[in-house]
Amino acid sequence: MSDSDSGTNPNRRDFIKIAGVASAAAGGAGLGMFGYAAGQDPASYLGWQNQEGASLIFERKHYEVDVPTYEKIGPTSRPDARVENIFDRRGSFMRQLRSGGEFEEPLKSYYEKHPEDLELDRLSAEEIIPKRMADEAEYGDRFFLSQAWSDAMGAVGPDPIDSPPEENDFPRDRRGTPIEPVKLKGPEMTARLIKKLAMQFGSTLVGITELNPDWVYAYPLRRRGFENPDEPLEVPEHWKYAIVVGTPMSWDPMYANPNYGTSNDAYSRSRIIATRLEAFIKALGYPARTHIPGNSYDLMVPPIAIDAGLGQQGRHGVLITPELGSNFRPAVVTTNIPMKTDRPIDIGVEDFCKHCKICAEVCPSGSITMEGKVEVRGYRRYAIDTAKCLNFWMSNLGNMGCRLCVSACPYTRKANWLHKSAVRITAADPTGLSDRALTGLQKSFYPGPDPEDYYIPSLGGDNASYREPPWWLRTEDFIDLG
Amino acid sequence: MRAMQIFNSGFFWFIEGILCVVMILGLRAFMRERGIPMPAWKWVVFGVWVLFAGFTIAFVGTSLGEGEPTAATRGGLLFGLIAVIGGAGAWRALVSGRDPGERAQVTDS
Ligand code: SF4
Ligand code: SF4
Repeated sequence: MSDSDSGTNPNRRDFIKIAGVASAAAGGAGLGMFGYAAGQDPASYLGWQNQEGASLIFERKHYEVDVPTYEKIGPTSRPDARVENIFDRRGSFMRQLRSGGEFEEPLKSYYEKHPEDLELDRLSAEEIIPKRMADEAEYGDRFFLSQAWSDAMGAVGPDPIDSPPEENDFPRDRRGTPIEPVKLKGPEMTARLIKKLAMQFGSTLVGITELNPDWVYAYPLRRRGFENPDEPLEVPEHWKYAIVVGTPMSWDPMYANPNYGTSNDAYSRSRIIATRLEAFIKALGYPARTHIPGNSYDLMVPPIAIDAGLGQQGRHGVLITPELGSNFRPAVVTTNIPMKTDRPIDIGVEDFCKHCKICAEVCPSGSITMEGKVEVRGYRRYAIDTAKCLNFWMSNLGNMGCRLCVSACPYTRKANWLHKSAVRITAADPTGLSDRALTGLQKSFYPGPDPEDYYIPSLGGDNASYREPPWWLRTEDFIDLG
Repeated sequence: MRAMQIFNSGFFWFIEGILCVVMILGLRAFMRERGIPMPAWKWVVFGVWVLFAGFTIAFVGTSLGEGEPTAATRGGLLFGLIAVIGGAGAWRALVSGRDPGERAQVTDS
Protein backbone atom coordinates (compact mmCIF):
# COMPACT_ATOMS: atom_id res chain seq x y z
CA MET A 1 0.00 0.00 0.00
CA SER A 2 1.38 3.42 -0.96
CA ASP A 3 1.64 6.34 1.45
CA SER A 4 -1.15 8.10 -0.35
CA ASP A 5 -3.31 4.97 -0.21
CA SER A 6 -2.94 4.69 3.53
CA GLY A 7 -3.49 8.38 4.10
CA THR A 8 -0.25 8.82 6.06
CA ASN A 9 2.80 10.78 5.00
CA PRO A 10 6.40 9.54 5.23
CA ASN A 11 7.23 11.85 8.17
CA ARG A 12 4.42 10.46 10.22
CA ARG A 13 5.25 6.90 9.36
CA ASP A 14 8.88 7.47 10.33
CA PHE A 15 7.77 9.01 13.55
CA ILE A 16 5.58 6.05 14.39
CA LYS A 17 8.42 3.71 13.63
CA ILE A 18 10.87 5.64 15.79
CA ALA A 19 8.26 5.86 18.53
CA GLY A 20 7.81 2.09 18.28
CA VAL A 21 11.53 1.47 18.66
CA ALA A 22 11.75 4.01 21.50
CA SER A 23 8.77 2.39 23.25
CA ALA A 24 10.39 -1.01 22.93
CA ALA A 25 13.65 0.35 24.36
CA ALA A 26 11.86 2.19 27.18
CA GLY A 27 9.69 -0.85 27.91
CA GLY A 28 12.75 -3.10 27.94
CA ALA A 29 14.67 -0.71 30.17
CA GLY A 30 11.66 -0.45 32.48
CA LEU A 31 11.45 -4.22 32.74
CA GLY A 32 15.16 -4.38 33.45
CA MET A 33 14.83 -1.80 36.23
CA PHE A 34 11.80 -3.56 37.61
CA GLY A 35 13.76 -6.84 37.62
CA TYR A 36 16.67 -5.20 39.41
CA ALA A 37 14.36 -3.64 42.03
CA ALA A 38 12.54 -6.95 42.49
CA GLY A 39 15.85 -8.73 42.97
CA GLN A 40 16.85 -6.22 45.64
CA ASP A 41 13.43 -5.87 47.24
CA PRO A 42 13.69 -6.37 51.01
CA ALA A 43 10.22 -7.93 50.85
CA SER A 44 11.83 -10.89 49.06
CA TYR A 45 13.70 -11.74 52.26
CA LEU A 46 10.66 -13.64 53.38
CA GLY A 47 10.39 -13.70 57.16
CA TRP A 48 13.43 -11.44 57.48
CA GLN A 49 12.00 -8.21 56.09
CA ASN A 50 12.61 -6.22 59.23
CA GLN A 51 16.19 -7.34 59.43
CA GLU A 52 16.70 -5.82 55.99
CA GLY A 53 15.28 -2.49 57.11
CA ALA A 54 12.17 -2.88 55.00
CA SER A 55 10.12 -0.88 57.43
CA LEU A 56 12.38 2.14 57.24
CA ILE A 57 10.28 3.41 54.40
CA PHE A 58 10.09 6.94 55.73
CA GLU A 59 12.81 9.23 54.48
CA ARG A 60 13.84 10.96 57.71
CA LYS A 61 16.46 13.22 56.13
CA HIS A 62 13.90 15.84 55.03
CA TYR A 63 12.57 16.15 58.56
CA GLU A 64 15.79 16.26 60.58
CA VAL A 65 16.14 19.17 62.99
CA ASP A 66 19.01 20.42 65.13
CA VAL A 67 17.26 20.24 68.48
CA PRO A 68 14.56 17.84 69.67
CA THR A 69 10.99 19.13 69.49
CA TYR A 70 10.37 19.03 73.24
CA GLU A 71 11.09 22.39 74.83
CA LYS A 72 13.59 22.96 77.61
CA ILE A 73 12.37 25.96 79.58
CA GLY A 74 14.30 26.03 82.82
CA PRO A 75 16.71 24.25 85.10
CA THR A 76 16.25 20.53 84.72
CA SER A 77 16.37 17.67 87.19
CA ARG A 78 16.34 13.90 86.94
CA PRO A 79 13.21 11.91 87.78
CA ASP A 80 13.00 10.09 91.10
CA ALA A 81 11.79 6.69 89.98
CA ARG A 82 10.84 5.67 93.52
CA VAL A 83 7.86 8.02 93.50
CA GLU A 84 7.57 9.36 89.95
CA ASN A 85 7.50 5.97 88.28
CA ILE A 86 4.00 4.76 88.95
CA PHE A 87 4.92 1.07 89.02
CA ASP A 88 7.69 1.61 91.53
CA ARG A 89 5.51 3.85 93.70
CA ARG A 90 2.48 1.57 93.56
CA GLY A 91 4.69 -1.39 94.49
CA SER A 92 6.06 0.43 97.54
CA PHE A 93 2.56 1.63 98.44
CA MET A 94 1.13 -1.90 98.39
CA ARG A 95 4.06 -3.28 100.41
CA GLN A 96 3.80 -0.54 103.01
CA LEU A 97 0.01 -0.75 103.12
CA ARG A 98 0.19 -4.46 103.91
CA SER A 99 2.77 -3.96 106.62
CA GLY A 100 0.57 -1.27 108.25
CA GLY A 101 1.82 1.81 110.09
CA GLU A 102 3.08 5.05 108.57
CA PHE A 103 4.45 5.39 105.08
CA GLU A 104 8.24 5.50 104.89
CA GLU A 105 10.34 8.00 102.95
CA PRO A 106 10.34 8.97 100.14
CA LEU A 107 6.68 7.90 99.87
CA LYS A 108 5.68 9.86 102.96
CA SER A 109 6.90 13.22 101.68
CA TYR A 110 5.54 12.49 98.21
CA TYR A 111 2.03 11.84 99.52
CA GLU A 112 2.19 14.96 101.66
CA LYS A 113 2.84 16.95 98.50
CA HIS A 114 0.45 14.94 96.33
CA PRO A 115 -2.53 13.83 98.46
CA GLU A 116 -4.55 13.23 95.25
CA ASP A 117 -2.13 10.44 94.33
CA LEU A 118 -2.55 8.82 97.74
CA GLU A 119 -6.31 8.82 97.13
CA LEU A 120 -5.87 7.19 93.75
CA ASP A 121 -3.40 4.61 95.06
CA ARG A 122 -5.83 3.75 97.84
CA LEU A 123 -8.75 3.60 95.43
CA SER A 124 -6.92 0.96 93.43
CA ALA A 125 -6.21 -1.24 96.44
CA GLU A 126 -9.51 -0.79 98.23
CA GLU A 127 -12.09 -0.61 95.46
CA ILE A 128 -10.84 -1.26 91.96
CA ILE A 129 -8.90 -4.48 92.48
CA PRO A 130 -11.63 -6.15 94.58
CA LYS A 131 -14.28 -5.20 91.98
CA ARG A 132 -12.13 -6.53 89.17
CA MET A 133 -11.67 -9.81 91.01
CA ALA A 134 -15.42 -10.13 91.45
CA ASP A 135 -16.06 -9.42 87.77
CA GLU A 136 -13.30 -11.76 86.72
CA ALA A 137 -15.24 -14.72 88.07
CA GLU A 138 -18.27 -13.73 86.03
CA TYR A 139 -16.87 -12.32 82.78
CA GLY A 140 -13.18 -13.28 82.73
CA ASP A 141 -13.50 -16.51 80.69
CA ARG A 142 -13.95 -14.55 77.49
CA PHE A 143 -10.36 -13.37 77.69
CA PHE A 144 -8.81 -16.74 78.40
CA LEU A 145 -7.16 -17.12 74.99
CA SER A 146 -5.84 -13.58 74.88
CA GLN A 147 -4.32 -14.03 78.34
CA ALA A 148 -2.79 -17.36 77.37
CA TRP A 149 -1.37 -15.77 74.22
CA SER A 150 -0.02 -12.80 76.17
CA ASP A 151 1.64 -15.07 78.75
CA ALA A 152 3.20 -17.13 75.97
CA MET A 153 4.53 -14.03 74.21
CA GLY A 154 6.10 -12.83 77.43
CA ALA A 155 7.52 -16.21 78.37
CA VAL A 156 10.85 -15.75 76.61
CA GLY A 157 13.30 -13.11 77.72
CA PRO A 158 16.69 -12.70 79.29
CA ASP A 159 17.12 -12.57 83.05
CA PRO A 160 17.09 -9.04 84.37
CA ILE A 161 20.49 -7.55 85.09
CA ASP A 162 21.41 -8.12 88.71
CA SER A 163 24.58 -6.12 89.17
CA PRO A 164 25.43 -2.40 89.04
CA PRO A 165 26.91 -0.77 85.91
CA GLU A 166 30.56 -0.93 87.00
CA GLU A 167 30.26 -4.71 87.34
CA ASN A 168 27.74 -5.73 84.73
CA ASP A 169 28.58 -3.50 81.80
CA PHE A 170 32.23 -4.30 81.16
CA PRO A 171 33.09 -7.27 78.95
CA ARG A 172 35.15 -10.11 80.37
CA ASP A 173 36.20 -13.43 78.99
CA ARG A 174 35.32 -16.75 80.62
CA ARG A 175 38.18 -16.44 83.08
CA GLY A 176 36.99 -12.99 84.12
CA THR A 177 39.78 -11.10 82.37
CA PRO A 178 38.67 -7.78 80.83
CA ILE A 179 38.38 -7.91 77.03
CA GLU A 180 40.38 -5.29 75.12
CA PRO A 181 38.28 -3.15 72.73
CA VAL A 182 38.91 -3.78 69.03
CA LYS A 183 40.19 -0.93 66.86
CA LEU A 184 37.27 0.39 64.84
CA LYS A 185 37.38 2.14 61.48
CA GLY A 186 35.44 5.23 62.50
CA PRO A 187 32.12 6.24 64.11
CA GLU A 188 30.18 6.27 60.84
CA MET A 189 31.09 2.70 59.95
CA THR A 190 30.41 1.57 63.52
CA ALA A 191 26.95 3.18 63.52
CA ARG A 192 26.20 1.45 60.22
CA LEU A 193 27.33 -1.88 61.60
CA ILE A 194 25.41 -1.49 64.86
CA LYS A 195 22.21 -0.55 63.02
CA LYS A 196 22.52 -3.45 60.62
CA LEU A 197 23.13 -5.86 63.49
CA ALA A 198 20.22 -4.46 65.52
CA MET A 199 17.95 -5.18 62.57
CA GLN A 200 19.55 -8.57 62.14
CA PHE A 201 18.64 -9.20 65.77
CA GLY A 202 15.03 -8.36 64.95
CA SER A 203 14.63 -4.62 65.51
CA THR A 204 12.16 -2.75 63.33
CA LEU A 205 13.65 0.70 63.96
CA VAL A 206 17.06 1.74 65.30
CA GLY A 207 18.36 5.13 66.36
CA ILE A 208 21.52 6.33 68.08
CA THR A 209 22.01 9.38 70.28
CA GLU A 210 24.35 10.75 72.89
CA LEU A 211 22.70 10.09 76.23
CA ASN A 212 21.26 13.19 77.90
CA PRO A 213 21.77 12.57 81.65
CA ASP A 214 18.42 14.28 82.35
CA TRP A 215 16.73 11.07 81.22
CA VAL A 216 18.52 8.84 83.73
CA TYR A 217 16.61 8.15 86.93
CA ALA A 218 17.98 9.97 89.98
CA TYR A 219 17.57 6.75 91.99
CA PRO A 220 17.65 3.27 90.52
CA LEU A 221 14.31 1.97 89.36
CA ARG A 222 15.84 -1.42 88.99
CA ARG A 223 16.44 -2.28 92.62
CA ARG A 224 18.13 -5.58 91.99
CA GLY A 225 21.86 -5.29 91.68
CA PHE A 226 22.22 -1.96 93.42
CA GLU A 227 23.62 -2.29 96.89
CA ASN A 228 21.57 0.59 98.18
CA PRO A 229 18.76 1.57 95.85
CA ASP A 230 18.10 4.64 97.98
CA GLU A 231 21.51 6.07 97.12
CA PRO A 232 21.41 8.51 94.19
CA LEU A 233 22.42 6.91 90.90
CA GLU A 234 25.48 8.56 89.37
CA VAL A 235 25.31 8.50 85.58
CA PRO A 236 28.28 6.28 84.63
CA GLU A 237 30.77 7.83 82.23
CA HIS A 238 30.56 4.87 79.89
CA TRP A 239 26.85 5.54 79.27
CA LYS A 240 27.89 7.97 76.58
CA TYR A 241 25.58 6.76 73.83
CA ALA A 242 22.13 5.24 73.80
CA ILE A 243 21.04 2.89 71.03
CA VAL A 244 17.27 2.64 70.80
CA VAL A 245 15.79 -0.53 69.32
CA GLY A 246 12.28 -1.96 69.33
CA THR A 247 9.37 -3.59 67.60
CA PRO A 248 5.63 -3.01 67.24
CA MET A 249 2.95 -4.99 69.04
CA SER A 250 0.94 -7.38 66.86
CA TRP A 251 -1.38 -5.09 64.94
CA ASP A 252 -4.75 -6.86 65.03
CA PRO A 253 -4.82 -7.56 68.79
CA MET A 254 -3.44 -4.06 69.38
CA TYR A 255 -6.54 -2.58 67.75
CA ALA A 256 -8.67 -4.74 70.06
CA ASN A 257 -7.30 -3.00 73.16
CA PRO A 258 -7.72 -2.78 76.07
CA ASN A 259 -8.67 -6.45 76.44
CA TYR A 260 -7.00 -8.38 73.67
CA GLY A 261 -3.78 -6.53 72.96
CA THR A 262 -0.65 -7.16 74.96
CA SER A 263 2.60 -5.33 75.45
CA ASN A 264 4.25 -8.67 76.11
CA ASP A 265 4.85 -9.63 72.50
CA ALA A 266 6.83 -6.52 71.60
CA TYR A 267 8.39 -6.28 75.07
CA SER A 268 9.73 -9.78 74.77
CA ARG A 269 11.18 -9.19 71.30
CA SER A 270 12.69 -5.84 72.30
CA ARG A 271 14.31 -7.45 75.35
CA ILE A 272 15.88 -10.13 73.21
CA ILE A 273 17.12 -7.64 70.60
CA ALA A 274 18.69 -5.37 73.23
CA THR A 275 20.34 -8.32 74.97
CA ARG A 276 21.82 -9.57 71.71
CA LEU A 277 23.09 -6.09 70.95
CA GLU A 278 24.66 -5.83 74.40
CA ALA A 279 26.41 -9.17 73.81
CA PHE A 280 27.64 -8.05 70.38
CA ILE A 281 29.07 -4.77 71.67
CA LYS A 282 30.73 -6.57 74.54
CA ALA A 283 32.25 -9.05 72.09
CA LEU A 284 33.88 -6.04 70.44
CA GLY A 285 35.38 -5.22 73.83
CA TYR A 286 33.19 -2.22 74.72
CA PRO A 287 30.92 -1.81 77.76
CA ALA A 288 27.17 -2.12 77.20
CA ARG A 289 24.04 -2.35 79.32
CA THR A 290 20.44 -3.02 78.42
CA HIS A 291 17.46 -1.02 79.69
CA ILE A 292 14.52 -3.19 78.83
CA PRO A 293 10.77 -3.53 79.31
CA GLY A 294 8.65 -4.30 81.39
CA ASN A 295 10.40 -2.43 84.19
CA SER A 296 14.10 -3.11 83.96
CA TYR A 297 15.24 0.40 83.14
CA ASP A 298 17.67 2.86 84.64
CA LEU A 299 16.38 5.61 82.38
CA MET A 300 13.26 6.99 80.67
CA VAL A 301 13.07 5.71 77.12
CA PRO A 302 10.69 8.01 75.13
CA PRO A 303 12.82 11.17 75.29
CA ILE A 304 15.91 9.14 74.37
CA ALA A 305 14.08 7.74 71.34
CA ILE A 306 13.18 11.32 70.38
CA ASP A 307 16.85 12.37 70.67
CA ALA A 308 17.76 9.37 68.50
CA GLY A 309 15.51 10.60 65.69
CA LEU A 310 12.91 7.86 65.91
CA GLY A 311 9.93 10.15 66.41
CA GLN A 312 8.23 12.71 68.62
CA GLN A 313 6.22 12.53 71.82
CA GLY A 314 2.45 12.72 71.48
CA ARG A 315 -0.17 14.20 73.79
CA HIS A 316 -0.58 10.72 75.25
CA GLY A 317 3.05 10.71 76.36
CA VAL A 318 4.01 7.88 74.02
CA LEU A 319 6.59 8.08 71.25
CA ILE A 320 5.09 8.54 67.76
CA THR A 321 7.22 7.25 64.92
CA PRO A 322 6.41 7.95 61.25
CA GLU A 323 6.44 4.22 60.40
CA LEU A 324 4.53 2.67 63.31
CA GLY A 325 2.81 5.61 64.99
CA SER A 326 2.67 4.88 68.70
CA ASN A 327 2.80 1.13 68.17
CA PHE A 328 6.46 0.82 69.11
CA ARG A 329 7.94 -0.80 72.20
CA PRO A 330 11.50 0.37 72.60
CA ALA A 331 14.50 -0.80 74.60
CA VAL A 332 17.84 0.93 75.04
CA VAL A 333 21.46 -0.15 75.16
CA THR A 334 23.90 2.29 76.74
CA THR A 335 27.54 2.07 75.69
CA ASN A 336 30.64 4.09 74.87
CA ILE A 337 31.48 2.45 71.56
CA PRO A 338 32.16 5.50 69.36
CA MET A 339 29.29 5.93 66.87
CA LYS A 340 27.88 8.61 64.59
CA THR A 341 24.62 9.75 66.14
CA ASP A 342 21.27 10.41 64.46
CA ARG A 343 19.47 13.76 64.45
CA PRO A 344 16.03 14.32 65.93
CA ILE A 345 13.12 14.73 63.54
CA ASP A 346 10.07 16.96 63.29
CA ILE A 347 7.22 15.30 61.39
CA GLY A 348 4.62 17.76 62.66
CA VAL A 349 3.38 15.79 65.69
CA GLU A 350 3.52 18.85 67.97
CA ASP A 351 1.11 20.78 65.76
CA PHE A 352 -1.07 17.77 65.05
CA CYS A 353 -1.57 16.99 68.74
CA LYS A 354 -2.69 20.57 69.44
CA HIS A 355 -5.92 20.02 67.48
CA CYS A 356 -6.35 16.26 67.49
CA LYS A 357 -6.93 15.25 71.15
CA ILE A 358 -8.41 11.92 70.06
CA CYS A 359 -6.40 10.05 72.70
CA ALA A 360 -7.74 12.36 75.41
CA GLU A 361 -11.30 11.79 74.19
CA VAL A 362 -10.86 8.02 74.04
CA CYS A 363 -9.04 7.56 77.37
CA PRO A 364 -11.51 5.92 79.79
CA SER A 365 -9.74 7.22 82.90
CA GLY A 366 -9.32 10.83 81.82
CA SER A 367 -5.55 10.54 82.28
CA ILE A 368 -4.64 12.51 79.17
CA THR A 369 -5.00 16.26 79.32
CA MET A 370 -7.18 18.27 76.95
CA GLU A 371 -5.21 21.34 77.97
CA GLY A 372 -1.84 22.63 76.87
CA LYS A 373 1.57 21.56 78.09
CA VAL A 374 2.96 22.04 81.59
CA GLU A 375 6.48 22.19 82.97
CA VAL A 376 7.87 18.88 84.15
CA ARG A 377 11.43 18.94 85.54
CA GLY A 378 12.42 21.87 83.31
CA TYR A 379 10.77 20.59 80.12
CA ARG A 380 7.38 21.37 78.62
CA ARG A 381 5.18 18.34 78.01
CA TYR A 382 1.59 17.19 78.21
CA ALA A 383 0.66 16.06 81.69
CA ILE A 384 -0.36 12.42 82.07
CA ASP A 385 -2.06 11.26 85.23
CA THR A 386 -0.27 7.94 85.57
CA ALA A 387 -2.13 6.99 88.76
CA LYS A 388 -5.52 7.26 87.03
CA CYS A 389 -4.11 5.39 84.05
CA LEU A 390 -2.83 2.52 86.19
CA ASN A 391 -6.15 2.38 88.02
CA PHE A 392 -7.86 1.68 84.73
CA TRP A 393 -5.26 -0.98 83.96
CA MET A 394 -6.00 -2.61 87.29
CA SER A 395 -9.71 -2.68 86.56
CA ASN A 396 -9.31 -4.29 83.17
CA LEU A 397 -10.32 -7.93 82.68
CA GLY A 398 -8.33 -8.68 79.54
CA ASN A 399 -4.57 -8.47 79.37
CA MET A 400 -2.60 -6.27 81.72
CA GLY A 401 -2.62 -2.66 80.55
CA CYS A 402 -4.87 -0.60 78.33
CA ARG A 403 -3.05 0.98 75.34
CA LEU A 404 -6.28 2.48 73.97
CA CYS A 405 -4.51 5.77 73.40
CA VAL A 406 -2.02 3.88 71.24
CA SER A 407 -4.76 2.14 69.21
CA ALA A 408 -6.84 5.26 68.58
CA CYS A 409 -3.99 7.61 67.69
CA PRO A 410 -4.28 8.52 63.99
CA TYR A 411 -0.55 7.89 63.56
CA THR A 412 -0.99 4.27 64.70
CA ARG A 413 -2.15 2.89 61.41
CA LYS A 414 -0.72 0.07 59.38
CA ALA A 415 2.04 0.92 56.92
CA ASN A 416 -0.08 1.02 53.78
CA TRP A 417 -0.21 3.71 51.08
CA LEU A 418 -3.24 5.42 52.61
CA HIS A 419 -1.96 6.07 56.11
CA LYS A 420 1.65 6.65 55.19
CA SER A 421 0.55 9.24 52.62
CA ALA A 422 -1.41 10.99 55.39
CA VAL A 423 1.72 11.07 57.58
CA ARG A 424 3.74 12.53 54.71
CA ILE A 425 1.10 15.16 54.01
CA THR A 426 0.91 16.37 57.62
CA ALA A 427 4.68 16.30 57.93
CA ALA A 428 5.16 18.43 54.82
CA ASP A 429 2.27 20.88 55.29
CA PRO A 430 3.37 23.98 57.23
CA THR A 431 -0.13 25.56 57.21
CA GLY A 432 -1.80 23.15 59.64
CA LEU A 433 -4.80 22.84 57.31
CA SER A 434 -4.14 19.17 56.61
CA ASP A 435 -3.90 18.51 60.37
CA ARG A 436 -7.40 19.82 60.87
CA ALA A 437 -8.83 18.09 57.82
CA LEU A 438 -7.27 14.74 58.68
CA THR A 439 -8.32 14.99 62.33
CA GLY A 440 -11.91 15.64 61.22
CA LEU A 441 -11.83 12.67 58.85
CA GLN A 442 -10.22 10.47 61.50
CA LYS A 443 -12.94 11.25 64.03
CA SER A 444 -15.68 10.62 61.51
CA PHE A 445 -14.21 7.55 59.80
CA TYR A 446 -12.75 5.64 62.75
CA PRO A 447 -15.19 5.93 65.64
CA GLY A 448 -14.94 3.66 68.67
CA PRO A 449 -17.03 2.83 71.74
CA ASP A 450 -17.77 5.51 74.34
CA PRO A 451 -14.95 5.78 76.92
CA GLU A 452 -17.15 4.52 79.78
CA ASP A 453 -17.99 1.33 77.85
CA TYR A 454 -14.42 0.12 78.25
CA TYR A 455 -14.93 -0.37 81.98
CA ILE A 456 -15.91 -3.66 83.60
CA PRO A 457 -19.63 -4.09 84.36
CA SER A 458 -19.29 -3.43 88.09
CA LEU A 459 -17.72 -0.08 87.25
CA GLY A 460 -20.50 0.80 84.79
CA GLY A 461 -19.07 -0.46 81.49
CA ASP A 462 -19.42 -3.51 79.27
CA ASN A 463 -15.83 -4.67 78.68
CA ALA A 464 -15.75 -3.01 75.26
CA SER A 465 -12.74 -3.16 72.95
CA TYR A 466 -11.71 -0.51 70.42
CA ARG A 467 -12.04 -3.03 67.59
CA GLU A 468 -13.17 -6.65 67.41
CA PRO A 469 -10.46 -9.18 68.33
CA PRO A 470 -8.85 -11.27 65.59
CA TRP A 471 -10.46 -14.69 65.10
CA TRP A 472 -7.63 -16.53 66.85
CA LEU A 473 -8.22 -14.70 70.14
CA ARG A 474 -11.96 -15.38 70.41
CA THR A 475 -12.04 -17.84 73.29
CA GLU A 476 -15.71 -18.67 72.75
CA ASP A 477 -14.96 -20.00 69.23
CA PHE A 478 -12.39 -22.54 70.46
CA ILE A 479 -13.09 -23.41 74.04
CA ASP A 480 -16.29 -24.74 75.53
CA LEU A 481 -16.99 -22.24 78.27
CA GLY A 482 -19.83 -24.35 79.67
CA MET B 1 -1.80 -12.84 50.54
CA ARG B 2 -1.21 -14.17 47.05
CA ALA B 3 -3.43 -11.45 45.58
CA MET B 4 -1.24 -8.79 47.21
CA GLN B 5 1.84 -10.25 45.53
CA ILE B 6 0.34 -9.40 42.15
CA PHE B 7 -0.15 -5.79 43.22
CA ASN B 8 3.39 -5.57 44.55
CA SER B 9 4.94 -7.25 41.56
CA GLY B 10 4.82 -4.30 39.18
CA PHE B 11 2.78 -6.31 36.68
CA PHE B 12 -0.39 -4.80 38.09
CA TRP B 13 0.92 -1.28 37.56
CA PHE B 14 2.06 -2.19 34.06
CA ILE B 15 -1.50 -3.25 33.22
CA GLU B 16 -2.90 -0.15 34.94
CA GLY B 17 -0.57 1.94 32.78
CA ILE B 18 -1.81 0.27 29.61
CA LEU B 19 -5.40 0.84 30.69
CA CYS B 20 -4.65 4.51 31.30
CA VAL B 21 -3.10 4.91 27.87
CA VAL B 22 -6.09 3.22 26.24
CA MET B 23 -8.39 5.48 28.26
CA ILE B 24 -6.52 8.56 27.08
CA LEU B 25 -6.55 7.38 23.45
CA GLY B 26 -10.26 6.67 23.76
CA LEU B 27 -10.99 10.11 25.15
CA ARG B 28 -8.88 11.70 22.44
CA ALA B 29 -10.69 9.80 19.69
CA PHE B 30 -14.06 10.66 21.24
CA MET B 31 -13.24 14.36 21.37
CA ARG B 32 -11.83 14.42 17.85
CA GLU B 33 -14.85 12.71 16.47
CA ARG B 34 -16.99 15.47 17.91
CA GLY B 35 -14.65 18.26 16.96
CA ILE B 36 -13.94 19.23 20.54
CA PRO B 37 -10.50 20.71 21.10
CA MET B 38 -8.41 19.23 23.94
CA PRO B 39 -5.94 21.88 25.11
CA ALA B 40 -3.48 21.03 27.90
CA TRP B 41 -5.69 22.37 30.71
CA LYS B 42 -8.43 19.89 29.81
CA TRP B 43 -5.98 17.03 30.11
CA VAL B 44 -5.00 18.35 33.52
CA VAL B 45 -8.67 18.45 34.59
CA PHE B 46 -9.15 14.94 33.28
CA GLY B 47 -5.99 13.70 35.04
CA VAL B 48 -6.99 15.22 38.37
CA TRP B 49 -10.43 13.66 38.18
CA VAL B 50 -9.03 10.24 37.26
CA LEU B 51 -6.61 10.43 40.19
CA PHE B 52 -9.36 11.45 42.62
CA ALA B 53 -11.77 8.78 41.41
CA GLY B 54 -8.97 6.22 41.64
CA PHE B 55 -8.16 7.40 45.17
CA THR B 56 -11.82 6.99 46.16
CA ILE B 57 -11.96 3.41 44.91
CA ALA B 58 -8.63 2.55 46.50
CA PHE B 59 -9.69 4.18 49.78
CA VAL B 60 -12.82 2.06 49.99
CA GLY B 61 -10.89 -1.09 49.10
CA THR B 62 -8.09 -0.43 51.58
CA SER B 63 -10.51 0.43 54.39
CA LEU B 64 -12.49 -2.74 53.81
CA GLY B 65 -9.27 -4.72 53.58
CA GLU B 66 -8.00 -3.44 56.90
CA GLY B 67 -11.30 -4.11 58.64
CA GLU B 68 -12.64 -0.55 58.86
CA PRO B 69 -16.13 -0.78 57.27
CA THR B 70 -17.23 2.55 58.77
CA ALA B 71 -14.30 4.32 57.14
CA ALA B 72 -15.09 2.52 53.87
CA THR B 73 -18.76 3.56 53.95
CA ARG B 74 -18.32 7.12 55.12
CA GLY B 75 -15.22 7.70 52.99
CA GLY B 76 -16.89 6.09 49.99
CA LEU B 77 -19.94 8.35 50.39
CA LEU B 78 -17.95 11.53 50.96
CA PHE B 79 -15.26 11.03 48.34
CA GLY B 80 -17.72 9.32 45.97
CA LEU B 81 -20.04 12.32 46.12
CA ILE B 82 -17.15 14.68 45.46
CA ALA B 83 -16.04 12.46 42.58
CA VAL B 84 -19.54 12.41 41.03
CA ILE B 85 -20.11 16.15 41.37
CA GLY B 86 -16.53 16.89 40.33
CA GLY B 87 -16.92 14.45 37.44
CA ALA B 88 -20.05 16.22 36.19
CA GLY B 89 -18.25 19.56 36.37
CA ALA B 90 -15.15 18.15 34.72
CA TRP B 91 -17.21 16.65 31.92
CA ARG B 92 -18.87 20.00 31.19
CA ALA B 93 -15.44 21.57 31.06
CA LEU B 94 -14.08 18.86 28.79
CA VAL B 95 -16.87 19.15 26.23
CA SER B 96 -16.76 22.93 26.18
CA GLY B 97 -15.46 24.79 23.12
CA ARG B 98 -17.02 22.42 20.62
CA ASP B 99 -16.44 23.50 17.04
CA PRO B 100 -18.47 21.42 14.53
CA GLY B 101 -16.53 22.93 11.65
CA GLU B 102 -13.36 21.20 12.80
CA ARG B 103 -14.88 17.76 12.68
CA ALA B 104 -14.00 16.94 9.08
CA GLN B 105 -10.40 18.05 9.47
CA VAL B 106 -9.60 16.20 12.63
CA THR B 107 -11.19 12.84 11.93
CA ASP B 108 -8.67 11.83 9.31
CA SER B 109 -5.48 13.25 10.77
S1 SF4 C 1 -3.28 3.57 78.57
FE1 SF4 C 1 -5.54 3.77 78.61
S2 SF4 C 1 -5.98 4.67 80.60
FE2 SF4 C 1 -3.80 4.99 80.20
S3 SF4 C 1 -3.66 6.99 79.23
FE3 SF4 C 1 -3.82 5.49 77.57
S4 SF4 C 1 -6.01 5.38 77.14
FE4 SF4 C 1 -5.81 6.35 79.13
S1 SF4 D 1 -4.32 10.77 69.36
FE1 SF4 D 1 -3.97 12.77 68.43
S2 SF4 D 1 -3.50 14.12 70.16
FE2 SF4 D 1 -3.25 12.02 70.85
S3 SF4 D 1 -1.09 11.59 70.54
FE3 SF4 D 1 -2.16 10.84 68.73
S4 SF4 D 1 -2.04 12.59 67.32
FE4 SF4 D 1 -1.56 13.39 69.33
